[in-house]
Amino acid sequence: MRPEDRERAQVESSTRVVDHHVATAGKNPREYLEDLVGDTLYYERQRLEREPRGDARTRADTAFYHKVQRRLRHASNADLRELLEEIARRFAAEVVGNFDERVYKLTTTAVPAGLSVMLNAMSPRRSGSLSSLGAGLSGHIQTQGETDHVRDLLDRGTLVVVPTHSSHLDSIVLGYSAHLLGLPPLLYGAGLNLFNNPLVSFFMNHLGAYRVDRKKKARLYKDVLKEFASVAVEMGYHNLFFPGGTRNHSGAVEQHLKRGLLGTAIRAYVENLRAGRPKPEIFIVPCTISYKLVLEAETLVDNHLKETGKSQYIIDRDEFSRPRRVLNFMSDLVSLDGRIVLTFSKPVDLVGNEVDRQGRSLDPRGRVVDPRRYVLSDGAPAHDAQRDMEYTNGTAERIAQAYLRDNVIMSTHVVAWSLFRMLERKNPHLDLYRLIRTGGTTPSLPISEVAGEVDRTLLAISELGTRPRMGSDLEQGDTLDIIADALRYFGTYHTQPAALRRGDRVFPKDMKLLYYYGNRLRGYELGRQLAERREETLSP
Amino acid sequence: MSGYDRDESVAVIGAGSWGTTLARILGDNGRRTLLWARREDLCREINESRENRDYLPGAELAPCVEATHDLQRVCDTCKLMLLVVPSHGLRKLAYELGGFVTGEHVVVHVTKVIEQATFKRMSEVLVEETCLRKIGVLTGPNLAKELAQRQPAGTLVASRYDEVFRRAHAALSSDYFRVYWGQDVIGAEVGGAFKNIVALAAGVVTGLGLGENSKALLLTRGLSEMARLGVAMGAEVLTFGGMGGIGDLIATCSSTLSRNHQVGARLAQGESLQQIQDHMQMVAEGVKTTGAVHGFATRKGLELPIVRAVYHLLYEGGTAPRLLEDLMSIPTGAEFVALTV
Repeated sequence: MRPEDRERAQVESSTRVVDHHVATAGKNPREYLEDLVGDTLYYERQRLEREPRGDARTRADTAFYHKVQRRLRHASNADLRELLEEIARRFAAEVVGNFDERVYKLTTTAVPAGLSVMLNAMSPRRSGSLSSLGAGLSGHIQTQGETDHVRDLLDRGTLVVVPTHSSHLDSIVLGYSAHLLGLPPLLYGAGLNLFNNPLVSFFMNHLGAYRVDRKKKARLYKDVLKEFASVAVEMGYHNLFFPGGTRNHSGAVEQHLKRGLLGTAIRAYVENLRAGRPKPEIFIVPCTISYKLVLEAETLVDNHLKETGKSQYIIDRDEFSRPRRVLNFMSDLVSLDGRIVLTFSKPVDLVGNEVDRQGRSLDPRGRVVDPRRYVLSDGAPAHDAQRDMEYTNGTAERIAQAYLRDNVIMSTHVVAWSLFRMLERKNPHLDLYRLIRTGGTTPSLPISEVAGEVDRTLLAISELGTRPRMGSDLEQGDTLDIIADALRYFGTYHTQPAALRRGDRVFPKDMKLLYYYGNRLRGYELGRQLAERREETLSP
Repeated sequence: MSGYDRDESVAVIGAGSWGTTLARILGDNGRRTLLWARREDLCREINESRENRDYLPGAELAPCVEATHDLQRVCDTCKLMLLVVPSHGLRKLAYELGGFVTGEHVVVHVTKVIEQATFKRMSEVLVEETCLRKIGVLTGPNLAKELAQRQPAGTLVASRYDEVFRRAHAALSSDYFRVYWGQDVIGAEVGGAFKNIVALAAGVVTGLGLGENSKALLLTRGLSEMARLGVAMGAEVLTFGGMGGIGDLIATCSSTLSRNHQVGARLAQGESLQQIQDHMQMVAEGVKTTGAVHGFATRKGLELPIVRAVYHLLYEGGTAPRLLEDLMSIPTGAEFVALTV
C-alpha cells in the first residue's frame, strides 16, 4: 500500500469501527462500550499469557493493556470512546502492511535471483545446485485458465483473487505468477507468524502483505481487520484473500469457506456506489493452486488428524519455518521438474454471477444484468448485513464449485488415493484412524493390482459430473509410468516416502501422506462412482 | 422497515384459482396489484367483470387489482412478485421473466413440485433461469376455495432473506390470513411437493372405504417419510412440524376434492392411471412427484416405503389392496428413528 494510503486506510478503518460501535451503543453507551473494551482486554490478556515473555511486542502490548485496564475503572463515556479509539488505532497500525509499489516492482523482477541468493546464503554447501534455481523457478510455475479474462478486468474495477490454500508458498507463488501475467500487485493478509520467518518476511513485507494475527480473538480486532480489507478494496487495491482461512490441513480442496473477509467485498462495493466512485465494480477471481508435493504436508496432515472434530489451532512451527526444508523442497522441485499449477477460474460478481471480459455481469442464460440493483434499498445503495451475508454465502458456493472444477489432479494424488482405497478395502475392520496408525495388515500390494485400481480411478474421474482437471503428468505414458512418476516424487522430498516399489510390489510407507495426497480427490463423489463401477464389474 | 413495506405494488404471475385468490387477498389489503395472465381475453374479462369466472367464480376483486398480459410492464412496475404457475410451465416462464427482472426483485413462488427431469426444487429452477437472488417460497394449508371465502388460514413464507419475508408479510397478512416466516427453503419446498404423494395414498385409503384411524396412520408415517426425504436434501426436521409440513398435509389429505385425492380414490376403485388421466384435464402433481422422488430415493439408497408403494401402484401395475398390504407389512420400530436421519 502506498505510504499516503497506509495512513488513510489505518485512520479510516479504525474510525469506521469506532463510529459503528458508538452508533450501535445508542444513547446510553456505557454498558455496551465497557463490554467491548472489557472483551478486548480479556482476549488480549489471555493471548499475552501464552506469548513468549521476553518478546518486545509482547512487553509493549502487556504494558498497553495494563494502562487500558487502569483507565477503564474510572472512565467516563468520553473516556470509553477514547479508549476504544486507541485500541482500534493500535490494531489498525499493526494490520496495515508495508506495501511499497516501487519495492514490489524491484522485488518481483528480482524474485528468482533474490530467492537464489537467499537460499545460497542459508546453505553455502549447496550453492552449486542452487545457482540455477532462481532462473528455473518461473519454469516450474504453470499458470492457466482465464488469465486473459482476468487481465481484461483490471481496468474495469477491483479484483479480489480468492485462491485455495495448501502452503505458505501460495502467496509467493501467486504473487510472482501474477507479476509474470502483468497483473498489478495484490494486497493480502498474511498470518503474523509469517513475518517472523526469516526467509519469507522479505517477501511478505514487499509483496503487499498486511498482517493478520489469528491469535487475536477480540471482536474489535476482527472488526478492524475486516474494515481494513474493505477500505483497501475501496481504494482500488486488488486484493488476495484465502477464503479457506488457514491452510487446509487435510489436503482436500476447500469446500467450507469463511465468509468474513469475503463479505467485506460487498461492503466495499456499497461504499463505492455511495461515494460515486468511477469504477465501483469488484470482481471475484477464484484461483486453484495445485502442488504435486506440498512443502508442509507432513505437519498439516498430522494436525488434521489430531484436530479432526476439535477446534482448529494455529501451527507456529512447521516445514516452512525450517529453511533447510524449504531449500530441499525448492531444490527437488527443480530437479524433478515438479510443477505448481495455478488455474484462474472465471471471474464472478459479488452475488456469484459470471462476469464477461467487458466486466458485465451475466445471468445464467448469458443476459446482461446490472449488479448495482442487488444492493439497492428504496432505490439507493445500502448496507444490509443479513442480505449481504446471503449474497456472500452464494458467492462462496460458486467459488467452492470453481475450486472443484479447476483443481488439477496429478500422479501423486491419483496413486495415493488408489493405494489408500485398496488398503481400506483390505482392512475393513479398521476405522480411518487405526488404519492410518497401524497401516493395516497388508504390508505390500502387487503392482498389477495397484495399476488396476489407478485405471479404475482415472476412468471414474472422467465419468464424474463435476470433475477436476487432469495434470499433464497423467496424460503421458501408461498407468505404470504414472505410478512410477508418483513414487519417484514420494521418494524424494518427504522424510520418508509415502510409498515405494520393490520388485513387483508397492509398499505403502507413510499412511498419513497417502491419506493427505489422496484427499485431493475427496469432494467429488468419486467413492460412490467407483463403488457403482465395482458393482457393475462384479455383477454377472 | 423500508418504505417498500407499506405501499409497494405487488405482482401475481398466473391467474389460476390460487393466483387469483392471492390477488384478492392483496386487493383486500388495499395493495395495488397487477395480476398477470398469458391470455389477453382473460385479462380483459377480469378487468371488466372484477372477477375471474374461469378459475375463481363468485369472488369479487378489489378495484386496485388489475389484470394484464404485459410481463415487462409487470416487472417494471412491481419489485415484489408472487409466482403462481403450474409446475410444467415454471421453467419456461422463469426464463421469460429472466429477460425483465433485476437483482432488486423479490420473487416468492408457490409451486409445490419437484422438477421431474432434474429433481430440482423450484427455487433452484429460478436461480438457473434468472438473475434473481431474493427468492422465497409460500406454502401451507391454503385451499383456494376457502380463502376465497375469507375463511381464516395461515401460511409459511420461507426465504434465506429477511427482506423477502418482511415484504411478503407486509403485503399479504390480513385479519383472515396469517403469514409465518421460516428460513428453511428446502424444507418448505420438499414439504409442499411431498404432501401430494401422501394425498394420493390418502385417496386410496378413502377409496378402499377405510376410516380415520387408517388415514391418521398414513398421514403420520407420511410426515415421517417427508422429513426423511427433506433431511436427505438438506432441510431441517422442525420445518415439517409447521405450516409447510403437517399443516399442508392435514389440509390436502382432508380435502376429497383435490386432484391427487381423486386419483387415489379412483385407483382404489379399480381404474387404471391411464383411464383416470384420459378423463382429467390436468395431471395430478402427486403422480409426477412420486416418479421423481422414487427415482431420487433409489439413487440415494433412501428408505421411503410409502413412496415405493404408491410408485408400484402408479407405474408397475400394482393394485390398491396390494398397496395396503405393502404399507401394513412395513416393519415397525422406534417411531422417531426416521426423523433423526
